[in-house]
Amino acid sequence: MVRRPEIGAFIVMVIIIVALGIASEGKAFNALGLKNNIAIISQLGIIAVGAALLMIAGEFDLSIGPMIAFAGMCIAIMLKWGLWTPFGVYEVTPFIAFVVTLAMTLGFGWLIGTIVVRSGLSSFIVTLAFWFFLRGLTEVCFRLINQNTNVSGLPDFKKESWFAEQMGGEVFGWFYDAWYWIGTKVTAGVEFTGDMSREAKIELINYLGFFNINRKMEQWVTGFDARLLWFLVIAGVAWYVLSKTQLGNWIYATGDNKDAARANGVPVNRVKVGLFMFSAFCATIFATCQVLDTNSSDAAKGMFKELEAIAIAVVGGILMTGGFGSILGVIFGAITFGLVANAVFFIPWIDGAWFRVFVGTVLLAAVFANERIRKRITGGI
Amino acid sequence: MADPLIRIEKLVKKFGPFTALNGVDLEVYPGEVHALLGDNGAGKSTLIKVLSGVHNPTGGQIYVEGKPVNFRSPRDAAQAGIGTVYQDLALNQLMSVTRNFFMGRELKGMFGNLRMDEMNKIAHDEMNKIGINFSDPTQAVGTMSGGQRQTLAIARAIYFGAKVLILDEPTSALGQKQQMGVLKTMMKVRKRGDIAIIFITHNEIHSKLVADRFTFLSLGEVIGKGTKKELEGDDIRRLMAGGAELGDLAAELATVTG
Ligand SMILES: Nc1ncnc2c1ncn2[C@@H]1O[C@H](COP(=O)(O)OP(=O)(O)O)[C@@H](O)[C@H]1O
Ligand SMILES: [Mg+2]
Repeated sequence: MVRRPEIGAFIVMVIIIVALGIASEGKAFNALGLKNNIAIISQLGIIAVGAALLMIAGEFDLSIGPMIAFAGMCIAIMLKWGLWTPFGVYEVTPFIAFVVTLAMTLGFGWLIGTIVVRSGLSSFIVTLAFWFFLRGLTEVCFRLINQNTNVSGLPDFKKESWFAEQMGGEVFGWFYDAWYWIGTKVTAGVEFTGDMSREAKIELINYLGFFNINRKMEQWVTGFDARLLWFLVIAGVAWYVLSKTQLGNWIYATGDNKDAARANGVPVNRVKVGLFMFSAFCATIFATCQVLDTNSSDAAKGMFKELEAIAIAVVGGILMTGGFGSILGVIFGAITFGLVANAVFFIPWIDGAWFRVFVGTVLLAAVFANERIRKRITGGI
Repeated sequence: MADPLIRIEKLVKKFGPFTALNGVDLEVYPGEVHALLGDNGAGKSTLIKVLSGVHNPTGGQIYVEGKPVNFRSPRDAAQAGIGTVYQDLALNQLMSVTRNFFMGRELKGMFGNLRMDEMNKIAHDEMNKIGINFSDPTQAVGTMSGGQRQTLAIARAIYFGAKVLILDEPTSALGQKQQMGVLKTMMKVRKRGDIAIIFITHNEIHSKLVADRFTFLSLGEVIGKGTKKELEGDDIRRLMAGGAELGDLAAELATVTG
């Protein structure tokens, strides 16, 4: 038990899944419900993984939200106005816009990390400074270039650009194909079975239709948001790196006791700077998916996202003091948060603000639980 | 006699205007325990930090097996065969024994993956070679006793090729029984014959139990040195007190008590 940081997160997640399933009368997990829930889970999960790795290494990143807005601004502006170079203005594809944006956000991540490790200042204060800096910069750029604090009505790039489709489109269509195929077969099976009354058959088919396994409720869903793919890729890579590689050992060592790590030859500063850049990378993926999905961007994008990412990491069993935690826990945390954030759409009588009440409560409980685990491992120090 | 593994000449270390080491000489021989003694603030920790590449010396020269060396980082020093076990042991409590054992020097497979089974086995075997019975290398270091942690830190240093093992007050934070465990471990390492041990301590009794050679530091300077034979028991006591005669101390105390 002591060695499984994600056990608490798992229990909370199961409770939420069951409670939401019952309270929404199954709607939260029918074809459309599942798609919508997974979209927000993936969105939150992408940035939470970045925040979590950084926290395991003992640092915070409050600039995630503004980094999302900044990256979204860069991509949207480039797609609308082109890329300015000394040789003129060029029209760019979504992929080029992404690459140029990523170069800038990774640069900011590097700068933040370098300032933190060189100055020895707390990352809380350094990234708070960048919170203001990037939010301001994003709005200024929007207004200077687009005379507005947003870009909207971009053409839909998903048809012409494979990259745009992979970021803002749909993935895993086979899942719903299979879902509907099974539904059709089951419905047909019910219709042709001999030993059931007509009323019982209709009732059963309607019931199955409610879960949408036979398209009866007319929800036409063809796949998951592409974010799911990126969440799976990012979480998978992060899980492998953290638990199975040398770099993972360095990340844990850096967050647990950086002097001990350094004395053993772990390049503590490079690990930290690298993880600030990874956090910026995750924010950029978040923003790219958002822009290419909605064909728009706004200076207010990513609001509160840094706080949600940190909260998910903590609920997922990551210690505030670093050195401990698992990606599996973060995934459980993201599922819990996503479901609760979306609950208002499936349970009409609930007030959406309860989401924050829930987050606050669970967060506090998680901090206490994590602290208990830490004490048990370190012998109560 | 064999050549010294390490020779330090006129080592100076300044922190700003403050001189922590003021021309220190030291020789360390393989198969010997060399006790480094001195009061708090004498410069013992500073000396070993320079020796292990944590601090750059302000002046003087270090020789390893006769060759002059210039350490820029702890990694350099480790590569030259200097294994340091700090007071805080440089261990991470939340991580497993194996992950600590290989911290910074992990065994990697083809895809950068850790060879965990192999690492677990090595950590287990190496610790049992020099220390107490110990079974589970996946347990967190935070759940181990102080003596077990010392054993882990020492086994790690030796496994990674330490020719000189530096132990900074390894017994000071431990209970009586655990202290004897650490001294036993030191003697096991000494018996191998190829490793030199620098043993930093406050404890006169411990140093007399295990050390072959002594160096006394006070305010950054060497105030006495010699082999066990050369130094009488009383000499050691006088030098431990920073060079003052016991009689002087008694007189000083008398003025306080009036
Ligand atoms: N990093 C540092 N910066 C400034 N002064 C230091 C530093 N490290 C040690 N000192 C000073 O050097 C002197 C020797 O310290 P130290 O080597 O730790 O002594 P010891 O280990 O013998 O007790 C002390 O006066 C201490 O305050
Ligand atoms: Mg000391």
